[in-house]
Amino acid sequence: MHLTLSVSRFDPKADTCPYLKEYVLSWEQHETVLDVLFKAWHEDPGLSFRRSCRSSICGSCAMIIQDRPRLACQTLVGDLIGDGGRLSLKPLPGFRQLKDLVVDLDPFFEALKQVIPWVLALPGHDGRVDPKAARLAEGPATCILCGICDAGMQPAGRVSPAALVKNIRLAVDPRDALGPGRLKIAGLTGEGLMTFRELLAQICPKRIDIPTVAVE
Amino acid sequence: MITHDIVIVGGGLTGLMAAVEASPGADVAVVSKVYPTRSHSGAAQGGFNAAMGDDDTVENHVFDTVKGSDYIGDQDAIEILCSEGPEVIRDLETMGVPWSRTGDGRVAQRSLGGAGYPRACYAADFAGHVVLHTLYEQSVKAGIRIYPEWYLVDLLIENGSVAGLLVYQLASGRTEVIRCKVVIMATGGYGRVYQKTTNGHANTGDGMAIAYRAGAVLADMEFVQFHPTTLYGTNILISEAARGEGGYLRNVHGERFMAGYAPQKMELAPRDVVSRSIFQEIKEGRGVEGSYVHLDLTHLGAEKISERLPQVQDLARRYAAVEPSAAPIPIEPAQHYSMGGIRTNLNCETNIGGLLAAGEAANVSVHGANRLGGNSLLETVVFGRRAGRRAAYLAGSAGLAPPPKDSLDAAMERWLANFGQSRPEVEGDSVFVIRRELNRTMTEKVGVFRTGEELKEAREELAGLRRRYSALRVPVKEAPFNYQLTEHLEVGYLLDLSEITAAAALRRTESRGAHFRLDFPGRDDRNWLNHTLIKKGEKGPVFGTGSVSITRYPPQERGY
Repeated sequence: MHLTLSVSRFDPKADTCPYLKEYVLSWEQHETVLDVLFKAWHEDPGLSFRRSCRSSICGSCAMIIQDRPRLACQTLVGDLIGDGGRLSLKPLPGFRQLKDLVVDLDPFFEALKQVIPWVLALPGHDGRVDPKAARLAEGPATCILCGICDAGMQPAGRVSPAALVKNIRLAVDPRDALGPGRLKIAGLTGEGLMTFRELLAQICPKRIDIPTVAVE
Repeated sequence: MITHDIVIVGGGLTGLMAAVEASPGADVAVVSKVYPTRSHSGAAQGGFNAAMGDDDTVENHVFDTVKGSDYIGDQDAIEILCSEGPEVIRDLETMGVPWSRTGDGRVAQRSLGGAGYPRACYAADFAGHVVLHTLYEQSVKAGIRIYPEWYLVDLLIENGSVAGLLVYQLASGRTEVIRCKVVIMATGGYGRVYQKTTNGHANTGDGMAIAYRAGAVLADMEFVQFHPTTLYGTNILISEAARGEGGYLRNVHGERFMAGYAPQKMELAPRDVVSRSIFQEIKEGRGVEGSYVHLDLTHLGAEKISERLPQVQDLARRYAAVEPSAAPIPIEPAQHYSMGGIRTNLNCETNIGGLLAAGEAANVSVHGANRLGGNSLLETVVFGRRAGRRAAYLAGSAGLAPPPKDSLDAAMERWLANFGQSRPEVEGDSVFVIRRELNRTMTEKVGVFRTGEELKEAREELAGLRRRYSALRVPVKEAPFNYQLTEHLEVGYLLDLSEITAAAALRRTESRGAHFRLDFPGRDDRNWLNHTLIKKGEKGPVFGTGSVSITRYPPQERGY
């Protein structure tokens, strides 16, 4: 099978603005967008894109694929197009395009500091955690910091989406001194959180389910 | 010129643990080719071994590890690994790792291969991920300086000691010099020498190769672990936790074939044993479609699978189009872990002053000829912590060396030699082609079953690839996000490490742990109860031997 891959190209040293470049490539059933991106790179070694784990756990390859933010390694070509189809790749919006599909992630990692992004250990806690409480943190703890929510959603309250996920993960942790108080500090109402929960479920590649108890 | 007391290369579990440990007493920086949370440590699923259960003991853990290593793991190092384990798990608990829990609130533990007890502390099947992110939180808290997407180019060594690093910043396309007192190499393994590997694209052994080129001793590079259960075709890891939670391996007839190979431990025999058994089944015509076997989780039920193995479930659905509660998962063994690495002492020090190494990049050696599941994650935090401690001590007791001069000139000369116009020996040659051929040679001829003849062929093929590689150059120098350049550098590292692995495997004329020679199928303690030590010579690797630390457990026959 074949496809036409359209990739946003931009080299700050040579281009005044981004342009689209097309590659006609072969593909097979079960191949991911990352697989075909590698084929394009082998034809055109100057093409830049981030990648590492290729198994949806490192968060490197977030980009706009067919007008939606997704992970390239998690997206099967065959789920989007058929033989002879067209696949469009653009950098994540909301971040500065540094080169081709690579965006500036420093502000993203910096934004985590909008909350206190670590467990503020409750003095004297014995380290035992009720298994039900531990289960609550599991969803938000699977966040891979890929940047997709920050690219595709509005901030809820005073903090960016990924920082809020981190904050919720910590708010439900019984070892944390701030605990549920974290959500008040972040300027969040129950209603705002409920909306955030619904929007996140639609966009997050790890389908992080915000525990409703955090909302309550 | 940038200056720090300690520079840690690699932002995975080992690197971040070392950084967090060293940071209160020293100025610490982490240089990493990816943002730290992208490190491949995050792909580890199963758990961290620590003897914390009521019936378990450190002695049991030590013995299981020694036996798992096929008696070539250093017992003094293994004693440290196992005895510091529970304490480090408690440290991680204090840092806020979201572990899975038992009914009474303790850290939950599961069984993994080669262990006599449920010993692996877990967080569903995201153990590596949650600890990596917790350590990242701690490094933010400690204000550790991180240089993400900076590549190590060269170690700058003056008068036998580290004086700094030459690094390359991917975003600017420029090199920088970092002066420091101590470097910790925490760069992980080199799984990408194989075509079939669970490792991510970043796992190209940069730190091992750069340290080797700078004169560091490598050890035991012939011992390469093949994980039994990776998705057929893509080789994406399916955690040993799947078998720890009760999964079966079945051949084309639906038989649990491990009964014929390891009647006591069955599916939870060590990885070297299980991987060989799978290949044997396929070889004898009992593979499914002649080329893989099944990992059967159907009897566990949908609820247990989604509670304990959510990632496995997701990976099987997405990448193999299999619903694991309804159908068995097609799996095949693939490269997973490097037991070999930069040789260190118990304090993570190498033969070069100021150069430390820990984690998969190092060989201390706690895994010997075969690593047990759950022991590598433990090694990252136990020896990451030790490396951090030692580095802080060394940085506190030494002054900064004068700015590197001769070593920097030599490093810049080597660096500039990467650029220019290629004069390919073969038309259409490129680093992509060379990498593909190298991967095929290593998978076909330096895999699970080895013979002298094939290893010699591999050596020849690799020498040819090296010749072809030496004719290639990178056309563009100062370009942002120049992955053509990083590919060129990485293929160079892969070539070095492949050559060493193949030569070490040819040299060891016995079978031990993960190293299995069809032409020498028995273990030979009289001649080979020793470490392989490798140093760079004028014309390639020079081999020697080192003694194995045996404190309590003399070698015995290894059966499961």
